[in-house]
Amino acid sequence: METGLFSGSVHIGIIYHPPQNYPLYIRSVPTENELKFHYTVHTSLDVVDEKISAMGKAMVDQRELYLGLLYPTEDYKVYGYVTNSKVKFVMVVDSSNTALRDNEIRSMFRKLHNSYTDIMCNPFYNPGDRIHSRAFDNMVNSMMMQVC
Amino acid sequence: MSRPPGRKQDSHKISRELFVLTYGALVAQLCKDYEKDEDVNSCLDKMGYGIGIRLIDDFLAHSDVKRCRSYSETADMIAQVAFKMYLGVTPSVSCSSAAGNEFSLILDKNPLVDFVEELPVERASLCYCNLLCGVIRGALEMVHLAAEVTFLQDRLKGDAVTEIGITFLRKAEDKKAKKK
Repeated sequence: METGLFSGSVHIGIIYHPPQNYPLYIRSVPTENELKFHYTVHTSLDVVDEKISAMGKAMVDQRELYLGLLYPTEDYKVYGYVTNSKVKFVMVVDSSNTALRDNEIRSMFRKLHNSYTDIMCNPFYNPGDRIHSRAFDNMVNSMMMQVC
Repeated sequence: MSRPPGRKQDSHKISRELFVLTYGALVAQLCKDYEKDEDVNSCLDKMGYGIGIRLIDDFLAHSDVKRCRSYSETADMIAQVAFKMYLGVTPSVSCSSAAGNEFSLILDKNPLVDFVEELPVERASLCYCNLLCGVIRGALEMVHLAAEVTFLQDRLKGDAVTEIGITFLRKAEDKKAKKK
């Protein structure tokens, strides 16, 4: 989970909602144990679904998109965010990374959401495709470098 | 759709995103309809031509242009007035032949490709903005200027800049030679 160079690790996943819930994009820094984080991201989907149904008929505004801390394990903290089109973003952060604050996580999700919107506007991108975009990768890279 | 010339343009604008997305949807649909890139390119060119022969009158009505006396003035008019009016960008113009009938417009920013990062792998020779070439060609033809218009370079294909080449084929007629 930790190499000598990084103070912690961050993993980001974008999961397409209806109804297959398969990942459109997963990125981990560092890349060891990536499989384990696929698993963590996937299991957190249940929690996301719970939160969404709990919100029920609540008005959806920007803050409701951000689901906050989904659940802490002893090693990691998992955060969630869901768009109005029910695309889910999940972020798994090392528990040792205490410097990361709630509003920083929020702004990371917002950046992800904005970049995802740009991808959707690409006429050659079909919703549900895996995301292969240099601009998106660059954005995620720089975001994760700031965190680690 | 005709408006009295000289009247200030309606301040109500259509969203840029809508326009860019519409154009993208058009190209994507053509890609589904035609297998070969050349077919898509020529279809875009024909569509652009249909737009250009109509757009020229709108342009002449809304811009206070004087008669252009040379190909060079015409090229400047296209870049500095027409592009500015319709796309909000101003390509730079340079003359690329000693004879004075070949020009190239270098587009620094191209709103049509706002959301397109690069062409899909299977569409390597697609000229995404070929509509523009048709528009220019059609408009010039309506003011009695025959020209060939093509993309010489394209950022989407990996070139450094996006460059449109205009080659005027005949001398301009003296009489009603108002230009786009």
